[in-house]
Amino acid sequence: MTSREKVQRSLAHQSGPVAVDFGSTGLTGMHVSCVASLREHYGLPIHPVKVCEPYQMLGEIEDDLARILGSDCVPANGRGTMFGFPNEGWHEWRAPWGQIVLVPAGFDPREEPSGDVYLYPEGDKTVPASGHMPAGGYFFDAIVRQEPIDEDRLRPADNCEEFTLLGPADVAHWRREIDRHRGETRAVVSGIGGTGFGDIALVPAAFLKHPKGIRDVSEWYVSLIERPDYVREIFEFQCDIAVRNLATFAEIAGDTVDVLMICGTDFGTQNSQFCSPATFDRLYAPYYRRINDWIHQHTRWKTFKHSCGAVRPLIDRFIDVGFDILNPVQCSATGMEPAALKADFGGRVVFWGGGVDTQRTLPFGTPAEVRAEVTGRLRIFSPGGGFVFNTIHNIQARTPVANIVAMIDAIAAFNRAGA
Amino acid sequence: MPLPPQLAELTTAVAAGKRVDTVRLTQELLAVGQSPTTIVEQGLVPGMAIVGEQFKRNEIFVPEMLIAARAMKEALKLLEPLLAAAGIKPKYTVVIGTVQGDLHDIGKNLISMMWRGAGFAVVDLGTNVSPERYVAAAREHNAHIVGLSALLTTTMPAMKDTVRQLKEAGLANTKIMIGGAPITQAFADSIGADGYAADAGTAVELANKLVGAAA
Repeated sequence: MTSREKVQRSLAHQSGPVAVDFGSTGLTGMHVSCVASLREHYGLPIHPVKVCEPYQMLGEIEDDLARILGSDCVPANGRGTMFGFPNEGWHEWRAPWGQIVLVPAGFDPREEPSGDVYLYPEGDKTVPASGHMPAGGYFFDAIVRQEPIDEDRLRPADNCEEFTLLGPADVAHWRREIDRHRGETRAVVSGIGGTGFGDIALVPAAFLKHPKGIRDVSEWYVSLIERPDYVREIFEFQCDIAVRNLATFAEIAGDTVDVLMICGTDFGTQNSQFCSPATFDRLYAPYYRRINDWIHQHTRWKTFKHSCGAVRPLIDRFIDVGFDILNPVQCSATGMEPAALKADFGGRVVFWGGGVDTQRTLPFGTPAEVRAEVTGRLRIFSPGGGFVFNTIHNIQARTPVANIVAMIDAIAAFNRAGA
Repeated sequence: MPLPPQLAELTTAVAAGKRVDTVRLTQELLAVGQSPTTIVEQGLVPGMAIVGEQFKRNEIFVPEMLIAARAMKEALKLLEPLLAAAGIKPKYTVVIGTVQGDLHDIGKNLISMMWRGAGFAVVDLGTNVSPERYVAAAREHNAHIVGLSALLTTTMPAMKDTVRQLKEAGLANTKIMIGGAPITQAFADSIGADGYAADAGTAVELANKLVGAAA
């Protein structure tokens, strides 16, 4: 059975060996420092690791490491980055923690004597910085560049600058990227951007030189209640563009792609939700439904929804609007106990994640504790398929390599025992 | 003097985040001679207490809480100059910030608003706050509580270091509270913090308890 078949069986809720993902999306990968540590641990050739996602400083998991990790998925990546520069033209950069990494040409930081690092939209240092890695930090956060809000002059179009049709350069990129994956024996996971609604990580628009409209995080959350028509107009415009882009992408990608990452909007906090079910129904559901319906009517792709946190009260709604896959399944959040999730939703949605806690066990536990948690989660989530193993969100910097290895060994042992 | 009906209406208005009504009722109460202290303590504070309770029970969510806090802030803009002119200061002061290396502030801001709404003086140091800045601010403002927030597993060690430095500074009357997504009571205990709160509503209850103001 190929890796792709393993994933497809699980997506179809059929029993079989546990499928695994490390690195097929910007939400299922690992920090570049962890990738380097693993390469060293497994005796793989040592060279600067590519930062494939500069915002979170995720490292590229090359095929040699992916084989050892047992990853059954591979990304088909878009051309752009969170900072609006393309992921090309690689050069070396010494990260603040001392590691030499490879970064794209547009990654041209301003490094302060304090240790703070700043990045610029499209790599343009003539405009204000849009990303900040504080001294002692391991990745960037968006700098909010909110212009004063004049209620009478707010125009939804100002919040739509980032939603554009795929241009010739994008189409050419996707043709190359999809061609590269033809005949792939692993599951191909892709995402074209612009299909997620109201993702708070994207609201500050670190990729735009002069973001307009509502770009402040709190102001955006307030807008869900105080300016619902404004938000609806943005989503309406965005959804129209997204559907047209999906049609273009479907013509290029066809059945080469297995899974499409749709949306990273976090609806959960550690203990609660970011909005009420009623707000979800009113504002988000119609657009998610339209995206998912289009995909299911025109392709064989499974659709992937990411939301951190305590989203149990919303899972039925995620399923109802057509999502096939839920990630990262944050079992440490209130109401997200794994066995109950599997029992209540396991037949209707694929859990892509939930494998081990990256807030506590993986960074701070012992290898024995990691093995026990991973094995426990595999026993709960894997029966009957509907599960792709992944850590709960990206593996964070400073996670001990021994713990990551313990996790990998536990998955391999579980699959061997099952076989 | 019997309390005017606008006080109860003010409580309802601020809890519902009705900014215009909150400002109007505050102005009306001042116009009928109600003291700013009573307006805060019997109008706004009970309103924000309702918000905290509803948030804890998942009846309202982050947007509604932000809107209520904005309404409260508008009322305080009218009241604070009057309180200052009368030499009335909040009884308790809290210093709050997100720890060094961490730029996340949604949770910190919510707790800051709720503490303001509970009648505390709040000194918000922002994000990426060094242990030295916490110590200096705690000393300068005679803080009853210092609140540390962290979202990241990678900045939890900074929290530990900050607690250590606050303890070493010998601020005998200052209690330390911590919170944030990866934080647990066990972690709080292990680094010697005086308290951990899982949400903004609980943070108010715990702060009142730590300063001895709990009902």
